[in-house]
Amino acid sequence: MTISWRNIWRHPGRSGVLLASIIAGLWAGVMIIGLMNGMFLQRMDYLIDSEITHAQVHHPEFLTEGYSRLYIPNHEEIDEWLRDDTRVRSHTLRTITDGMLQSPVKTSGTRIRGVDPERERETTTFHENIIDGEYLDSSIRNPVLVGKRLADTHNLELGDRVVLTFEDVNNELTSAAFNIAGIFESASPQYDDANVFVRSEDMIRLIADRPIFHEIAMMLHNEDDAEAVTAGLNERFSGIEAQTWYELSPEIRMMVEFGGAMLFIITMIIMLALAFGILNTMLMALFERMREIGVLLSIGMSRIRIFLMIMLEATILTLTGALAGIGLAWLSIRKLSESGINLEMFATGLAEIGWDHMIYPFVEGSEFVTIVILVITITILATLYPAVKAMRINPLEAARDT
Amino acid sequence: MAILETKNLSKIYNPDTVPVHALRDVSITIDKGEFTAVRGPSGSGKTTLLNMLGGLDRPSKGAVYVDGKEITNMKDSDLIDFRLRNIGFVFQHYNLIPVFTARENVSFIMLLQNRSKEEIRKRADSLLEQVGLGSKKDSRPVQMSGGEQQRVAVARALASEPMFILADEPTANLDTAAAMNLLDIMEKMNRDQNVTFVFSTHDQRVIDRARRVITMVDGAIHKDEEKVSP
Ligand SMILES: Nc1ncnc2c1ncn2[C@@H]1O[C@H](COP(=O)(O)OP(=O)(O)OP(=O)(O)O)[C@@H](O)[C@H]1O
Ligand SMILES: [Mg+2]
Repeated sequence: MTISWRNIWRHPGRSGVLLASIIAGLWAGVMIIGLMNGMFLQRMDYLIDSEITHAQVHHPEFLTEGYSRLYIPNHEEIDEWLRDDTRVRSHTLRTITDGMLQSPVKTSGTRIRGVDPERERETTTFHENIIDGEYLDSSIRNPVLVGKRLADTHNLELGDRVVLTFEDVNNELTSAAFNIAGIFESASPQYDDANVFVRSEDMIRLIADRPIFHEIAMMLHNEDDAEAVTAGLNERFSGIEAQTWYELSPEIRMMVEFGGAMLFIITMIIMLALAFGILNTMLMALFERMREIGVLLSIGMSRIRIFLMIMLEATILTLTGALAGIGLAWLSIRKLSESGINLEMFATGLAEIGWDHMIYPFVEGSEFVTIVILVITITILATLYPAVKAMRINPLEAARDT
Repeated sequence: MAILETKNLSKIYNPDTVPVHALRDVSITIDKGEFTAVRGPSGSGKTTLLNMLGGLDRPSKGAVYVDGKEITNMKDSDLIDFRLRNIGFVFQHYNLIPVFTARENVSFIMLLQNRSKEEIRKRADSLLEQVGLGSKKDSRPVQMSGGEQQRVAVARALASEPMFILADEPTANLDTAAAMNLLDIMEKMNRDQNVTFVFSTHDQRVIDRARRVITMVDGAIHKDEEKVSP
C-alpha cells in the first residue's frame, strides 16, 4: 500500500542510511564470498592439475610408510583397466620412495618421485613449474629436477651432480649419482623443498628387477566421477587403495571445510548486522508513529493491516537495498572474474604459502539465490517484532495529550 | 430516535493501585441530528466519556449502545470494524497522516471501507470543497494551518458516512477565527445533512453555539440543558 511507500520517504536520511548500509554490506559480503571462492578454487585446481589429480591408487600402507617395497602389486591390470575406462582422460604411473639427497654442501631428506615424462606431461601440469633448465625428457643421463629453494640451500646449479640414496624393494640401501636437468618452483615452497623428480625407469633400475610403481594418478573428464571411479577400482582390485582428490589432500579438505565455515560466518555476520539495522530503524519509526498508529486504529484500520503496513515498509526498503547490493556485487564479480584482482600489494604472504596473488572471484548462482532467500527471511524475522508491537498499540494513543 | 445511549457507565482507572473514578454512573441518550457539547472542568471525565462512546476504551461498568447495538461487549477486531463503519473521530491534535495529502487523508478511510475508486475520488473532492479546502487538496498536513488541518480532519470523519462524529476538544489548538470557521462548517453539516456531532470543550464560544450542553463534574453528569432553537 502507498502508505508504506510514503512512510519510507518520510525520513529520507534514515531510510537512506539503512539502504546504503544494506547495499554496502551485501556488496562487501558477496565480494568476500566471491574472493574466497576464487582463491580456494584456484588453489584447488592448481593442486589437482599439477600434482594430486582427480584420483590416485596406492598400496594401502604406502602413503603412511613410504617404503619402496609397498608398491602396487597389480599395476599392469589397473593400467589396462584405466585405459579402457572412458571416464578417465589420462593416467600416469609413478615410482616413489623416501630417501636422501646429498650435495657437496649437505644432505637433506627428500621424497624421490620417479615419473614417466611423457605420460606425466599428458596428465598433470607439473612441467609448467620448471623455471630453469629442462624437463625430464632431457637427453642427459640420470636427470633430476630439484626445487628452487632446495637448489639454493644446496648451492646447486644446472648440470651439478647429486647423490640420491634410498632403499630398494628388499630394504637394501642403494645410491646413484643424478644430474640436475631442471629447477622447478611450484606454488608451494614446502612441496618444493621436500620433493625431487627423476625418471621412473632410472629409479626402477636401482630398486627392483622389474617395473614397479607406487602410485597411479589419473585425471578424469569430469571430476564428479572421482568417487565412482575409485569405488570401482577398490571393488575390482585387491591389495590396493584408490582415493579421490578430496581424500588425498588434507589441504583441499581443510580448504573445503574452512571455506564452508568462513562462508557461514561471513553470511551470519552480514545477516546479523542486517537484522539489527532493520530492527533499529523500524523500532525508531514505530516509536515516532505511536500516535499515528493510534489514529489509524481509532478510525478503523484493522490490526492485521497495520501489521502488514509495517512489514511491507521494511520489506520494500530491505529488498530494494538487497537487490541493489547483490546486483552491484554481481556486476563487480562479473567484471573481476575476467580481469582478476591483484592482491600482491596487500598480501605478500600469499605467495609464501603458495597461493596465487591474482584472484578471479566468482559466485555461483545458487549462492546468490541463497543470499536473497536469507535476506528475505531475516527481514521478515527482524520486522516481526516491531510489526507485532505496532499491531498491539492502544487506539487511545491517538487522543493522548502532547 | 436514540443513536447513542449509555447505561450506568462507570470507569475506574488503576483499580488496583490508586483508583481514579473518571466516570460515575453516566446514563445519557443522544438522538440523531444533535449538536451537543460536553463541558466541565479539567479532569471531569469528558475525554473518558467520549472514548467510551467511540469504543476506544472499555468501561469498568455499564454499557454503550450504538443504534441499539451494545458495543461494550464486542471483540476488539469487530469493534475496530464497527468504528470504521459507524463512528467518525476528530482529535484535538488533528492527527492527519503526515505522509498523505489532504485528499489522500480523506480517501484513506473510504479505501479501508472498500469503496470504489471512482466514488472515493468524487466524495473526497466534494467533502474537501464543503470544508472550504477545494484549492488545497494536494497539500500535505505540514503545508496547512491548524484550522485547515482540522477541517481536513472533519472531512475525513465525515467521509466514512458515520452515524455520528465525536470530537474531543476540536478547537483547543485553534485561534478564534479558525475555531469559529470550524464551528460554522460543523453547524452547516449538522443543519444541511443532519450529521450528529458530540464534542467536548472548555471553550465558552463553542459552548454558546451548541444546542445541548452536558456539564460534567467529577465524572458525573451535573447538568444537561437543551437550548430552545431560535
Ligand atoms: N489512562 C489513565 N489512567 C489513569 N487515570 C486517568 C487516565 N486517563 C484519565 N485519567 C483520569 O481520569 C480523570 C478524567 O480524565 P479525563 O481525561 O476524562 O478528563 P477531561 O475532562 O477530559 O479533562 P481535560 O479537560 O483536562 O481534558 C482524571 O482525573 C484523569 O486524571
Ligand atoms: Mg480531555
